[in-house]
Amino acid sequence: MGSSPESEGPGPSNSELIRRLFALAWRYRMRCVQVLGIQLVLLTMGLFGLSFTGIGIDYIRQVVAHAGAGHPPVGPVRFLHMSLPPGLHPMAVLAILGGSILLLSSCRAVLNYVYAVRVNILVQQHLVVDLRGEIYDKLQRLSFRFFDANTTGSIITRVTGDVQSVRMFVDQVLIQSVIMVISLTVYAIYMASLSPGLTVACLATSPVLWIMAAGFSRKIQPEYAENRRLVERMVQFLAESIQGAAVVKGFGRQDENRARFTRLNGEVLTQQYNIFWWVSLFSPTAGFLTRINTIVLLGYGGWLVAHDRLPLGAGLVVFAGLLDQFAGQVNNVATVVNSVQQSLIGARRVFEILDAPVDVRTPRDAIRRPRFEGAVRFEGVSFDYGRLEPVLHDISLEVKPGECVAILGATGAGKSVLMSLIPRFYDVSKGRILIDGIDVRRLHLDDLRRNIGTVFQESFLFSNTVAANIAFGHPGATQAQVERAARIAAAHEFITALPKGYETVLGESGNSLSGGQRQRLAIARAVLLEPAILLLDDPTAAIDSETEREIFDALDRAIAGRTTFIVAHRLSTLRRADVIIVLENGRIVQRGSHAELIRVQGPYLHVANLQLVDSRELQAAGEGGAP
Amino acid sequence: MSDQDHPRGPMLLVHRVRDEDDDEEQFKPLDWRLISRILGYAAPIRRKLVIMYVLTTIRSAQLPALVWITARVIKGPIAMGDMHGVLVGTVAFAVLAVITDSMFHFRQRYALEIGETVVNGLREDIFLRTQRQPMSFFHRVKLGRILSRVTSDVEAVRVGIQDVGFVSAIQFGQMVFSAVVLASYDWKLFLVIAAMAPALWLVNNHFRMKFSRLTRASQESFSRVTATLAESVNGIRVTQGFVRQDTNAGLFRSLLSDHSKYNVALARTSAVLAPILELNSQFFVATLLVVGGWRVFHGTLGADDLIMFFLMANIFFSPITVIGNQYNQGLLAMAGAERIFRLLDTEPDWEDDPGAQPLADPRAGGDGGPRRGARVELRDVSFGYDPSRLVLHGVSFTAEPGQTVALVGHTGSGKSSIINLVSKFYLPTKGEVLVDGREIRGITSRSLHRQMGMVQQQNFLFSGSVLDNIRLGRPESTEEDVRRAADRLGCLAMVDELDAGLATQVGERGAGLSLGQRQLVCFIRAMLADPRIVVLDEATSSIDALTESRLQGALATLLRGRTSFVVAHRLSTIRGADLVLVLDKGRIIERGTHPELLALGGHYAALYRQFVQVDDRR
Repeated sequence: MGSSPESEGPGPSNSELIRRLFALAWRYRMRCVQVLGIQLVLLTMGLFGLSFTGIGIDYIRQVVAHAGAGHPPVGPVRFLHMSLPPGLHPMAVLAILGGSILLLSSCRAVLNYVYAVRVNILVQQHLVVDLRGEIYDKLQRLSFRFFDANTTGSIITRVTGDVQSVRMFVDQVLIQSVIMVISLTVYAIYMASLSPGLTVACLATSPVLWIMAAGFSRKIQPEYAENRRLVERMVQFLAESIQGAAVVKGFGRQDENRARFTRLNGEVLTQQYNIFWWVSLFSPTAGFLTRINTIVLLGYGGWLVAHDRLPLGAGLVVFAGLLDQFAGQVNNVATVVNSVQQSLIGARRVFEILDAPVDVRTPRDAIRRPRFEGAVRFEGVSFDYGRLEPVLHDISLEVKPGECVAILGATGAGKSVLMSLIPRFYDVSKGRILIDGIDVRRLHLDDLRRNIGTVFQESFLFSNTVAANIAFGHPGATQAQVERAARIAAAHEFITALPKGYETVLGESGNSLSGGQRQRLAIARAVLLEPAILLLDDPTAAIDSETEREIFDALDRAIAGRTTFIVAHRLSTLRRADVIIVLENGRIVQRGSHAELIRVQGPYLHVANLQLVDSRELQAAGEGGAP
Repeated sequence: MSDQDHPRGPMLLVHRVRDEDDDEEQFKPLDWRLISRILGYAAPIRRKLVIMYVLTTIRSAQLPALVWITARVIKGPIAMGDMHGVLVGTVAFAVLAVITDSMFHFRQRYALEIGETVVNGLREDIFLRTQRQPMSFFHRVKLGRILSRVTSDVEAVRVGIQDVGFVSAIQFGQMVFSAVVLASYDWKLFLVIAAMAPALWLVNNHFRMKFSRLTRASQESFSRVTATLAESVNGIRVTQGFVRQDTNAGLFRSLLSDHSKYNVALARTSAVLAPILELNSQFFVATLLVVGGWRVFHGTLGADDLIMFFLMANIFFSPITVIGNQYNQGLLAMAGAERIFRLLDTEPDWEDDPGAQPLADPRAGGDGGPRRGARVELRDVSFGYDPSRLVLHGVSFTAEPGQTVALVGHTGSGKSSIINLVSKFYLPTKGEVLVDGREIRGITSRSLHRQMGMVQQQNFLFSGSVLDNIRLGRPESTEEDVRRAADRLGCLAMVDELDAGLATQVGERGAGLSLGQRQLVCFIRAMLADPRIVVLDEATSSIDALTESRLQGALATLLRGRTSFVVAHRLSTIRGADLVLVLDKGRIIERGTHPELLALGGHYAALYRQFVQVDDRR
């Protein structure tokens, strides 16, 4: 999380991103237009409401002034291009004005409601759902390389936070800017119609405010980014100190740890103080700039009113109200600018996924082959992750249907990769792999993978029922099929002993089961489809030695009759294989059966010896004195 | 969320077990004791806190004053056409504006600083108090809970101080000042207007409450989305391997639209509130126009005073919604503070005796002396993680200096418990653990642990370089010391094989290193600490066979001359032990050396045979 190196580097340019964001918004154009229409009506109504207040004030002052001067009641009140019939009682006029204001604002209230709901439906119910669905869909198809290069956290952020940033472009940038431009224009025109001079004088500060806000935002953004980095580091250290409590205590390092935390925590504080200074400089200054408007309004506006160039109510008071609205919209500019920044960052990361090439895909003229025989052939296969150093060099291997190949090697020797090439989790860099004589890259991907059962090193189970996990590759499987697979995997007994049997829901990552039990579920999942080829990637690695024995029966039954590749370290497993290959740095350094390899000096003998010491000693003890 | 058509198959939804935290209150009423305890954390900048109180009071009056001047100028000099008055009023306004905004700088900065200082102190305390807790705490309390104290709860407190506390006070002050001004002009009209305030408050609060309820529901549905997403990403290899992409995509989409329903419901609620508030203010304008106009016609109010009401009433009303919104945040802050303090106030199950003395360290003083191991003795020790359910019963044995003790037995037989007691991660329920003849309770944990080296099956590595992680065993050591330690273990070549040697970065949970390499780091770390007591808990169980064969030598070197406790799956390690303890259900059922026990032909021999047979079947 935090700094994500994968999102840096040369991506699409900003203008390219904006073009694509527009294209995205274009998909929802009808809804956008609807929403804008509502805003236009709202704006008009707001202006009327405001002018009614001004008219009302002037009317009251006129009535009072005329009454004081002994004149007859004032002439007709004009509004909405209609005149109220003369001779109305002043209170009736006020009541009509008040009633109109209420009526207008009731309509506005309803429209405002409709607007807010419409916008929300547009972005949350359509845009966000569509976009997230698309990303998820794409994620499911991306090859393993992508997942090797990106952390889970970073991928999740893209689907959650970054998508929200992208949608901001539609509702907070596009729609807002259109609204802003329209309202500012209308306000400015309306204000100018009241008094052009006053309008120019009052709006003079707005550009200053914009420039200042932009400068401030540019200054403060990196500071906030730095703050996030520092906070993240501090929280991470705290989390690690808790996760690694045994290590910290075990080596008696509490004091050093505390000092380090205090330092990290203090760095956050110091950096924050810096931010506070800038924030506290900006907001009062911006506030003061707004007040200058009021000063101008009082001085210059006052002069205008005093010289009878501007009415007090319908002029000055309405003007003050408009100025207020105007300032509100001006403040929005900063928000919109920020949103653009944010949505560009989000868009970059979202489009990165949508654009990521799916490097493993079914060819157009794919060969369909519902069942495989299970003959596998590696012809001069090399593989690299795109780095300089290849992971596999020139591997050639011929496996007949039903044979079992065991792979031995140190971590990083290329065992898992070698197996991943068969179901095309990665594609070979050089050479080719043939199944039943057909290059795997020419087979339909679904057929290929459905014919290969895989048990991964760490059995990943989904938070779902036991049965659903076993039937993962074939959701339509019958209960009988599921149970059969469970029996093969020696899992039926413990499953029926679970509280709800096959319907027991597993906790996240299947935490409620032991390692051996989870691995047996993984085996059941792999054999459910009766695959011709079985890949077992060190299925006992994550299991402690005692429970290891639990799954041997399961393995024996699963392997029977299938072409099997198994990564293994124990002699018991290695011996079972028809062929053992020993990998070192991506090359096959030894190959042969157990009986052959045990006779020659080499890494195999080394491993075997370590394990054989135990059994020899047992023999010795048995001959010694044990019954 | 059950899927009726498929009683079993394609559900992908994550069934979230509700966190215990969910049962805790989300809101908490204002509590002065909590508030004063929170503000106590501002002690380092107490002066600023005092200034802040003054600034808050002054600012409450400044805003109404500015509006008052505006209204005075409009209704007086402007209405009369008195240009001199206009000028005087404008200048007065400008002067007051400069003062107000200058003071605002300090008002804002100090509030932010006070908030940050409090938050900083809280974090520091949380770290200190949790680190002081014994291991039982870490086994009991989930990491996520502590993290949410440090992040979201602390954040709520920060918001409470920076955005709510002082701001609400100022808003409230504004109301009071503007009320005084208005009442002084026409108290009857003011009463009519003020009568609307409670209604506004109630409406606002009703919706805020509803809003936060809905927010919670929406957050829950969102956490289902993220949890499912996380699972999909983590399980992507399985999904692709089993060709499940389309099924999953469909399910995820339905989860998304479900979540969007909550969002729209949320939007509907807030979409009602905003217009109601606006309607309210328009209602007020209309009322003022009609009632105020009526009073003007009857001569009880000057026509120009009505302008004062229009402008000042805004200052009176706007705080109501602001305070209403902040009130909820204030309650959130209270609940957050309460949870933080509950964590801080959790008493450790035990701590070192006040009179505990450090364990004498024979390694100190001269490098040349013999590196003697410690003498460790367990005397009739019984122990239970829950004292009412013992997992060890009357265990006694002695490890003489330099001896290796191997612990053998099934899972749950008590091997790890013995190791936890020797490490002083837990204290015995009954009986005594003695190190160099001293009761372990009377020895400071720190001094004991400084003489210990531990390697477990799953070792935690901190993010940082390999070098940093190894130096955890002895922070004062140099890179040269580390290389020497690796060399002594015969592992220097393996260290240099790492991508960047000792500078290799260890990522999230040790990503970047293989299991074998991580174990290697732990062995060197333990070696560097040059411990008198070594504890190996399944230290080589998770390593691949080839790497294990390379680490075997290192293991022997590490154990030589030190008192060691070993739980191992590799019998070759057990074979060399000076004492093998066979445990069953918390009792020692056999003890002796490997040949003795084999000759005995009891449990150990059977266990051993069974074990070797796994390797030897067929």
